[in-house]
Amino acid sequence: MSVSPQLPVLDFSEIGPRVGSRLADVRLPDQAGRLVDLHTERGHRRALVVFYRSARW
Amino acid sequence: MQLVELQDAWQNLQRKRVAIFAISYDSVEVLAEFAEKRRISYPLLSDEGSHTIRAFGLLNEEHLVQQHAFYGIQTREEQLGVAYPGTLVLNAQGVISDKYFEQSYRVRPTARIFEEYALGKSTAASPPKDAPRATGRGLEVRVWTDARTYRPYQQVRLHVHLVVAPDMHVFASSGAEEFTPLSLQMEPLDGLEVGQPALPAPRRLGFKGLEEQFLVYEGSIRGMIPLRFTKNLGPSALTLHVKYQACTSTLCFPPTTLRVAVSLDGLDLIRD
Repeated sequence: MSVSPQLPVLDFSEIGPRVGSRLADVRLPDQAGRLVDLHTERGHRRALVVFYRSARW
Repeated sequence: MQLVELQDAWQNLQRKRVAIFAISYDSVEVLAEFAEKRRISYPLLSDEGSHTIRAFGLLNEEHLVQQHAFYGIQTREEQLGVAYPGTLVLNAQGVISDKYFEQSYRVRPTARIFEEYALGKSTAASPPKDAPRATGRGLEVRVWTDARTYRPYQQVRLHVHLVVAPDMHVFASSGAEEFTPLSLQMEPLDGLEVGQPALPAPRRLGFKGLEEQFLVYEGSIRGMIPLRFTKNLGPSALTLHVKYQACTSTLCFPPTTLRVAVSLDGLDLIRD
């Protein structure tokens, strides 16, 4: 009997920044080459921080 | 595609004072080109070299290769260094209040879902006025989707609103054997994947003179069926079959199946 391969299940509660912790500082250039400090740019607003694979593929 | 969906959500989120940041390992040049082409208003942050991604523990190494192998795709050298796709929700103090990381990169959030991540689910959201509906004895059903269009691999949610007539009930699945339980079945469509319908927990109901208790639904019920197109089928109808048996406190009507459909138009996959 053949078994079809299963994708290993990842537990994202253990991967990446933890819920309940303050996001560490992020300072990266944006699409205009301007250096952005995430928390400064955010100010006192809530935020969505979206990680994605690539804008190219 | 997520970047385009985020842009669709941008105006509403800006109004509600929610900032948006997107991070990838792309160079500034790649991001500049994309931002111009797709008219992106929010910051696309360039983590070239994946240092931030790595520091956050979000480097998708082995799993990417395994995922590709699973789908029969060869991993290219340039693809190593990517992040796991997902969203962190920050509160006003910058603390992570929620985290949404997909298991499969092939199921992607829509603008509406991004808005819900930031603003919470609008559970009070009632069916749109023109939501297709079907009515049978003891039950009315209305269905709608978040948007009138879909792209392959996006989370399409079919919302189902059931209203049981007053002083009547329908049997829930795993209810009594002799009665037909409520079932929600999508008409199959090649290129459509259907997930498990989500329904609230039924209520226990006892009847005078009967020892047995039954699991039933009464009043207004909201359900949702998660769906995914694996290709652009162009204009498509999502047809739901609702099988049920409605009863009053003294008698039951014969089992019935209602059929109701919602139309969607297909758009092409955008690679991002």
